[in-house]
Amino acid sequence: MNKRNMIGLLILSLLMAVQVAVAADSKGDMAKMDNPMAVKAADAITKAEAARKKAASVDGEWRDTGKFIKKAEEAAKAGDYEKALKLAKKAEDEGKLGYEQQVSQRELKMPSYLKY
Amino acid sequence: MRLTVMGREIMKKILISLAVLALTATGVQAGPEEDRMAFVKYYKAKFPSVPDKEYANGVYAIDPVGRENWEAIEEFPPYEPFIDAGKEMWEKPFANGKGYKDCFPDGPAIQHHYPNWDKKQKMVMTLPLALNQCREANGEKPLKYKKGPINNILSYIAFQSRGQVVNVKVPMDDPGAVAAYEEGKKFYFTRRGQLNFSCASCHLQNTGLKVRTEILSPSVGHVTNWPVYRSKWGTVGTLHRRFSGCNNNIRAKALKAQGRQYRNLEYFLSYLSNGQEFNGPGARK
Repeated sequence: MNKRNMIGLLILSLLMAVQVAVAADSKGDMAKMDNPMAVKAADAITKAEAARKKAASVDGEWRDTGKFIKKAEEAAKAGDYEKALKLAKKAEDEGKLGYEQQVSQRELKMPSYLKY
Repeated sequence: MRLTVMGREIMKKILISLAVLALTATGVQAGPEEDRMAFVKYYKAKFPSVPDKEYANGVYAIDPVGRENWEAIEEFPPYEPFIDAGKEMWEKPFANGKGYKDCFPDGPAIQHHYPNWDKKQKMVMTLPLALNQCREANGEKPLKYKKGPINNILSYIAFQSRGQVVNVKVPMDDPGAVAAYEEGKKFYFTRRGQLNFSCASCHLQNTGLKVRTEILSPSVGHVTNWPVYRSKWGTVGTLHRRFSGCNNNIRAKALKAQGRQYRNLEYFLSYLSNGQEFNGPGARK
């Protein structure tokens, strides 16, 4: 076997290894998605992210909302869907509250204690 | 047309409501000088023994114990090395041979020119932004706005500018400038974050009271002493770094340093300090 064939064989086996790994991973993902809790958690995270973005659009995002979403994603990845759901719900609530907080103050109201 | 008694009552109520609305609107639409005077009057009523000029010293105008510590710290100022490093930056030419001196020919004592309304760019121009625009115009990378070397050059400029007086102008014939000022004012009074606090909650309504161990400072004088060496930071930091910290404390997500919102807030806050002397860089807990 010459050098060229050796390199070709090496690349081929590498490609095959990558393919097997990707297939295994997507199989894992598929298995996860068969789990109704996984679907629920993914949905909750999507909703939380949308609520966070909506709050941010009016400068109303709270400090920890993004952190909760990140932790929810990590929990879902680790298969702890209960935890992921809880965190995502918390983040979604924060997003909604942050948005409402800013929208409710759209008009500037001067405090009564400041006398002109 | 004759009104019935009931009709007259309704009319009276409508007129009273309109009068109240008009009065409220007057308060909201007060101009920068009316705002400043209202703040000064408010603090004067709260701290009658504090002379006007003392507000340039921030919280130490109203905190005698903290002031003793601060005065002791000022005997060996922790920000001195930053001033020296800033002087070097000011003197050192950029790669193209030009330098800060070319951008700011009347420098380095230029603090009193900022923040200002930049008619050309239609935005509030702050000193850190102007410094970075100078760098970029000369092919240099902009500096980060919260930590690092920007604080050196700001310390040097602040030190050279000591004794100058805050003199922010809001050109009332320029709707953009007025809108920027109003946006800064609205930011100041808007509650945000999980704790639902506004800047005013701490620095106006509850000035002089304590949050944990710290006395809340008045807003008049908030901008005079920057950049500041904070013992908590262990280094010198910018005003916008402090804005971020404040927002974090009330559990709101901090906005971008030198972004529109914080620059407009700086514009409003700086106007409130008109007439106060610059005394930066400062030292704070």
